[in-house]
Amino acid sequence: MRSPGAFRLLLRPAFVLALALALAWRAPALRAQSDDDCLSCHSDPQLKRGNGTSVFLNQERYAGSSHGQAGLSCLDCHAGLRGVRDFPHAEKLKKVACASCHEKPVSEIALSVHGRTGPGSQGPLPGCPDCHGRHDIRPARDFESMTSPINLPQTCGRCHLEKVKNGRGGEFIRQYEQSIHFRAIKKSGLTLAASCSSCHGAHAVQAVKTPQSLVSRKNIIRTCGQCHVGIEKDYLESVHGLDYLKGIKDVPVCTDCHSEHAILQAQDPNSRVYVTRVAEVCARCHDNLTIARQYGMSASRLKSFSDSYHGTALKFGERRVANCASCHGFHDIRAASDPKSSINPANLPQTCGQCHAGAGKNFARGNIHSIQDETVTAKYRSSHIIKRIYLILITVILSTLVLFIAADLFRRAVARKRHG
Amino acid sequence: MDKSPFIADDEIFERMNLAERIQHLVLMVTFLLLVLTGLPLFFYEFKLFRWLIPSEAAFQVRGIIHRLAAVGLIGVVVWHIGTTLFTRRGRRNFKELRPRFKDFRDALELFGHNLGLTRFLEGKGLFRKFFKKHPFWLFELPPLFGRYNFIEKFEYWAVAWGSLVMILTGFFMWQVELSLRLFPLWIHDIFVVIHGYEAILAFLSIIIWHMYSVHFNPEVFPMSKIWLNGRISGHELRTLHTLEYQAIHLERERARAKASQVMNPYGNAKS
Repeated sequence: MRSPGAFRLLLRPAFVLALALALAWRAPALRAQSDDDCLSCHSDPQLKRGNGTSVFLNQERYAGSSHGQAGLSCLDCHAGLRGVRDFPHAEKLKKVACASCHEKPVSEIALSVHGRTGPGSQGPLPGCPDCHGRHDIRPARDFESMTSPINLPQTCGRCHLEKVKNGRGGEFIRQYEQSIHFRAIKKSGLTLAASCSSCHGAHAVQAVKTPQSLVSRKNIIRTCGQCHVGIEKDYLESVHGLDYLKGIKDVPVCTDCHSEHAILQAQDPNSRVYVTRVAEVCARCHDNLTIARQYGMSASRLKSFSDSYHGTALKFGERRVANCASCHGFHDIRAASDPKSSINPANLPQTCGQCHAGAGKNFARGNIHSIQDETVTAKYRSSHIIKRIYLILITVILSTLVLFIAADLFRRAVARKRHG
Repeated sequence: MDKSPFIADDEIFERMNLAERIQHLVLMVTFLLLVLTGLPLFFYEFKLFRWLIPSEAAFQVRGIIHRLAAVGLIGVVVWHIGTTLFTRRGRRNFKELRPRFKDFRDALELFGHNLGLTRFLEGKGLFRKFFKKHPFWLFELPPLFGRYNFIEKFEYWAVAWGSLVMILTGFFMWQVELSLRLFPLWIHDIFVVIHGYEAILAFLSIIIWHMYSVHFNPEVFPMSKIWLNGRISGHELRTLHTLEYQAIHLERERARAKASQVMNPYGNAKS
């Protein structure tokens, strides 16, 4: 059937039309290529392409895949081979158009950081098979799927551990594998725990800096709140949450205290919010003079806490003493002026009473974070006056003692010079 | 003063009896333990203390030792008050320890004498008239001390005051619930501040003052052994506690006179 020139131009469309009609008429008998035709070559483990790679297709794996289960034939995806009669066919095939069935995900990808038109996208971009595989595509629920929560870190990590720079290094991403989220998936099979796509989105993934990213400061509360519903509610009612809703950019969101990928249980000694370490997290803002001035908060909260027995003991690893959260709460921290606040003077007896049995009103008659500050009531400053008196006393007494000793040694030195 | 014919230089006198030595020892041990287990809370950033108290368990043991030592200190204070009130020796010592005006003058005199500034000025012919009229200010000779010199008295009263303050404030820090039932938080805060700073004062005073007088002072270097054997020689008494030496001399002289009076009722023994 090979003829050059006019014959081909005129007759080929006619031939194709005739074939199509014939196929439609007696499809089973005349089907050009069945899966068996493909497999006559692709089931041979020895057969290799020009570049030495095998053409073998594992039929069992394919049969278990989503597409195999759905009964899709080779040509449903490899539509480019339809009608090809020459075998072996060309090595370079037409790209599989996933969009012909999966229209929505493909259009999402296009606008994501992985798509050509998405904000911030650059460099070589992944195609569908990079995340989903080729013949072995399985639903995410299947533990063998590349997109199963248990395998997702590895799938994303193929690019994001080294090839893709994120400004914080591969270690930043690797930390996820130590997190409570991944351990929940891996050790307990809790596939509802957060994996890469739970927070970053799947096809619509965006760069963190893009405001519409699920993990941007604007959206992270809602993103974590997908699972941590009660915590989101507590947070939004807290002093932090109220400011967050006002759009104040310095207010801490989930990740500021819990970190991003390295999230651990608060009970884990390595957690940033562990009893002995949480003070440092709070101190990033509450012991920062610039932030304190800007938002009219009291500064030196860490210093004043460390100076107290609670803070000092914590520094030595004593865990029974109060840390920030013991008195202030954590997600539901409220301003002291709020009647619902655990540190509202009216509630202090109850708050302190958690540890100090029988705590009464006297616990509120003073300053817990005791600092020398004009804003503090006069009598609450008395301990600082005593401190100053002691410093003067110590200086005077010790210098007197040292002077006496110096004079004594001086006399002896003079005497020795004179007599000896 | 001149040598007394009644007191040999090598005669041994008891300066601290056994009870006093034990009191001193207990005080020393408890003081050191209290300082060692207390200072880390004050200087919590200091690396050495972090090394000394490396774990939570160590920190808890620290607290237990601190309170045990505190009980020891309270014990020795009570014992000392007992011996002071109820023994003749205790009462006599206490009498000797009472601060007097002389102690302040002694301090000034010793300092002035050691400095020698006024003698230097006088030697240069300055303020001649003034020094002629007030020879005291020349500090020609060091002051003479009794059984306890002003340095020792100062230490004694410093320890007495310090113990009182530390025991009271420490008790309320120990029983914080009780303290806050009785006082508002701001008063309790004062206890905490006092406990810390009084400790620093006591610790530095001891390190500087007591260590100098009983260790590094060339007169006793490397160490005065009185705290171990309680003994002081006639010679040391004569040079360091001259007034006490004189008092013993007078006492013995009087006793001798009395004895010879008894032997010779006609009273012409000494001619």
